[in-house]
Amino acid sequence: MNDKEIDGILKNAKAVTGDPDPEVLRRIADSIVPSLRPVRPLPPAWRMTGALIAVCAAVSLAGALRVGLVGFDKMDLAQRVAVFSGLAILVWAAARAMVAEMIPGSRRTVAPVVLLAMSCVALAGLFALMFHDSSIENFVSIGLNCLLTGLLHAVPAALLSWLVLRRGFAMNAVAAGLLAGMLGGLAGVGMLELHCPNFETAHLVVWHTAVVLLSAVLGAVTGLVARRLARTIA
Amino acid sequence: MPDEAEIQTEDGATVPRPPAESSFESLMVRYQAGDFASATTLIEACSPRLYRFFLAQAQSRADADDLLQETWLRIHRVRHTYRSGEPALPWFYAIARHVRIDHYRKAMRNATSALELDARASVSDAFSRETDRSYDLETLLAPLSESQREVLEMLKVTGMSLEEVARATSTSVGSVKQKVHRAYKKLRETMSAAGLGKERRERLS
Repeated sequence: MNDKEIDGILKNAKAVTGDPDPEVLRRIADSIVPSLRPVRPLPPAWRMTGALIAVCAAVSLAGALRVGLVGFDKMDLAQRVAVFSGLAILVWAAARAMVAEMIPGSRRTVAPVVLLAMSCVALAGLFALMFHDSSIENFVSIGLNCLLTGLLHAVPAALLSWLVLRRGFAMNAVAAGLLAGMLGGLAGVGMLELHCPNFETAHLVVWHTAVVLLSAVLGAVTGLVARRLARTIA
Repeated sequence: MPDEAEIQTEDGATVPRPPAESSFESLMVRYQAGDFASATTLIEACSPRLYRFFLAQAQSRADADDLLQETWLRIHRVRHTYRSGEPALPWFYAIARHVRIDHYRKAMRNATSALELDARASVSDAFSRETDRSYDLETLLAPLSESQREVLEMLKVTGMSLEEVARATSTSVGSVKQKVHRAYKKLRETMSAAGLGKERRERLS
């Protein structure tokens, strides 16, 4: 059997499945009449993406300014350009994906999980490429401190992102949660890059990258719990 | 007070009055503006497609009716998420798909798998008595995974483009192509294994 024959069968099936009962259609129309009022459509995608990027930048900067821009001052120009332009691209990609996730029928270029994996690899690669201090001192204790600080900044950024897109409709709550968490995590990394003076390669690759990964996982779990909760209530 | 070129929304904002054309997209814009005639036209024009989409995997026509009603209620609730200038059909299907997944998960929770399979089998038999060709389609698509079947239905039965299917299923065009390729491969293997002869193939197509 070839593709043409398979196409033919599928085409024939179209004619036999039938149409909905006109009575059902009338009932549907009647059910929406009482609440049929003009609604304000969502703003253009670029504006929502811009708002999400602004949220991330604001959270990173506010957090870093509170404790000092020690890391930023310690970086040379090449490191500053590479790290912050790299972060900006990742934030833009995550924001764009999150906006698409909250609008039904949007165009997707890459699955959220793939985007997360790519972002973590890109971030780790960027750190490995730009920082060459191979020493390891208090790897776990300092690392955990950075992880916690990053996550503490990821939470408000993720919540604010959700607030920006609250009028959207999450087609997949887990994917939307993952992207919100990832966006928050990137805001957390942004704050760490501005503040953290520890330029040990292993520290940056493991603990700073882990902020994005862990934050995204927490976001996905939150989405899953929210979906189950919504179904239980319904 | 808004002028004639503008209308006032639920939350007090003013938006431009939509054009008076009749494509799904322009009907959708007018539906957002609170035009009842456009809403009913949309319901009448879109429902047959959505109904077939549900019927292909629903356990009964009553189930398909319920899913259709639920879909329109949800479309109505989130109609503000449609953006003017974007294709409307994938937007409808994305919501319909969401409703179907919800329904499926609820059904899985409420009934045991065995009971559900029995019910589905008996519906299939009943359907085969009603329309022989539809039974053939179900038999043909049975070996495919849920997502492969869904993509094939949208692409081949409903007549959507690759781009529209990708938007409706929240995936990329590449992923849709891959699913179709795998589905066709599986179908060919199944048909060969079942030994479908030329005579049957001619009858089917």
